[in-house]
Amino acid sequence: MNLQAKFALYNAITKIAIILVLGTIILLSLETISSHHLDTRLAKKRLKVIENLDDKEIDSLIKSRQSFTDYNILKEEFIVLTAIPKAGKIDTTLTFTSETREIEGEIEIYRILNDQFEFNNKRYKLEIGETMTAMESIKTTIRFYMLIVLVISLLITLITDYAFTNFILRPFYKIIDQKLNKVNNPTSYNYQNIPTNTTDFKILDNSINSLMRKISDLFLLEKQFIANVSHELLTPISILSGRLENILTADNLPIEHENKIFASLKTLNRLKVIINSLLLISKVENEQYLKKDNVSIKHQLDEIYEDLEDRILDKKIVYQNRIKSDFIFTGNQALIHTLLVNIINNAIKYNVAKGSITIEEELCQSGYILKICDTGIGMEKEIATNAFNRFERENNENEDGFGLGLAIVNSIAKFHQLNIDIKSEKNSGTVVSIEFPVG
Amino acid sequence: MNVLIVEDEKSLALEMDEFLSREGYIVEHAWKKSSAEEKIFVNNYDFILLDLGLPDGDGFEVLKQLKNLKDREDAVIILTARSEVDDRIKGLDGGADDYLAKPFSLNELLARMHAITRRKHKLEKNEVKIHDFTLDIQNRTVSYNDDRLPLTKKEFEIFNYLVLNKNRVVSRMSLTEHVWGDILEVNSDSNFVDVHVKNLRKKLTQCSKTDWFETVRSIGYRINY
Repeated sequence: MNLQAKFALYNAITKIAIILVLGTIILLSLETISSHHLDTRLAKKRLKVIENLDDKEIDSLIKSRQSFTDYNILKEEFIVLTAIPKAGKIDTTLTFTSETREIEGEIEIYRILNDQFEFNNKRYKLEIGETMTAMESIKTTIRFYMLIVLVISLLITLITDYAFTNFILRPFYKIIDQKLNKVNNPTSYNYQNIPTNTTDFKILDNSINSLMRKISDLFLLEKQFIANVSHELLTPISILSGRLENILTADNLPIEHENKIFASLKTLNRLKVIINSLLLISKVENEQYLKKDNVSIKHQLDEIYEDLEDRILDKKIVYQNRIKSDFIFTGNQALIHTLLVNIINNAIKYNVAKGSITIEEELCQSGYILKICDTGIGMEKEIATNAFNRFERENNENEDGFGLGLAIVNSIAKFHQLNIDIKSEKNSGTVVSIEFPVG
Repeated sequence: MNVLIVEDEKSLALEMDEFLSREGYIVEHAWKKSSAEEKIFVNNYDFILLDLGLPDGDGFEVLKQLKNLKDREDAVIILTARSEVDDRIKGLDGGADDYLAKPFSLNELLARMHAITRRKHKLEKNEVKIHDFTLDIQNRTVSYNDDRLPLTKKEFEIFNYLVLNKNRVVSRMSLTEHVWGDILEVNSDSNFVDVHVKNLRKKLTQCSKTDWFETVRSIGYRINY
């Protein structure tokens, strides 16, 4: 749930709570006020009744029946006077109750005053009732309109809240999008502040900026370090290899020493390959190359085949190039060449004798897909997923790759925004697909 | 042939000196840009082996100075461990004849120098005799008693490189690197060089005995002459 929705929800919940509390208070006070109002009226009426009592009336009333009941035509109020036996103490407190009474077949709610009094040595019970129906209907109407008003105001404030938080949070999402999501490389980061007058967002923006500064400094430092170290290592390697080559020209060199020196030269060569690979990766990642050549994939593949033909023939590999179209990609020719060489070289290196290499193409909506399939030894799934990491490789006794070929491929692919995917199964081969974007 | 080595790494310069002296070159040294410029101004050299990262400046400036002098035929090979992408292009555009990235094999340096010599002096040394065979470097052919052998491009390259480094063991690794270029992660253990050498030897043996064409077990090859 995003911040905006949370704000809106919180606002809604608090508003509903406030409304419920207020509504309850209003309704309760309405109840109390109306009851209180009726009670005072009833009390006044009782006084009137008691004032107007005199013997005759009461007598005539009581004589005829055990009790006297009277109500007006519209059944809005009634009065009941009943003689009760004198037993125990008289209860002179006025009590008020709300009750439903049926009067001539009509059921209504009445507020009823109960009272006992003594008159001429007789004890009477007096009930004065007044209908509450009008009051109830007024209350219902008030309740209904209050609810409508409240719901409408709730909806309006919700909508305005939502719109307002949307407006307020817009810079925040802009910061997230432009400063975090769209950043692929700290070197191409835009330090310009996103316009906002919310202080918190300004703080966030500046914090991200300073974080990015630190990251890009570290990035540069690391790249520089790799480049410098590699460069500094190449000179001593040159000296060593020159020295060893000069020792080899001596006439009386014992054969076992000669072998050792050749082995050392080979080790030096290995060092050189590792360093050059690291240098290449760091140069690609430093974006020291231009991407302005029109590279024909077909032409590159033909060139590479010429270079690697001997190795393919040597392993008796069936090489099938099924590329028909001449796809032109704008990038760095040398790098694309290196990328393809590395992939095809692997397809040869890890192939079995009399295996096959098939190169296919596929045109789709998003671009041009080149597939290099081999019938080689393949690799385990988890190794395939880590294949692009530096120095990751399968231990293989026959081959002396240094585990950097695919790391180079990966950095070149990233540099050109190519999607590269490797699918492999142990002992059945590997498929590398490269997707070149169009345009 | 006079060679000027412009290189601030003394150890490396001395190793190059030793190797080239044994090949019959007369070697001089300059450790700095300033002394290199002086020497170039005073003397003519057949070869200037130029390092780019000099303590008191950029090797490119030495190259510029040289190109400003009239009537100079000095061949320049740039030797550098510098990793700028466009250095090679910049060097060749600036008038250098070749470019070798450190670390390089001294055999390779020699091969490059020979190639430049052949380019510069078209008439000289275009034919090399090796036992009963003649290598025509210009036309890239090998003949036996005026009969041309049907060698492939790669076979000629291998033969030429071995002849150039005659009496020295040439390892598979440096042979591979010379003939196939510097394909990253080239598998120096792979025996695909051997296939070419085997074919080459077969073609030579059909004409005459080739006991001078030696296989040095587990290392490489040597041509004795």
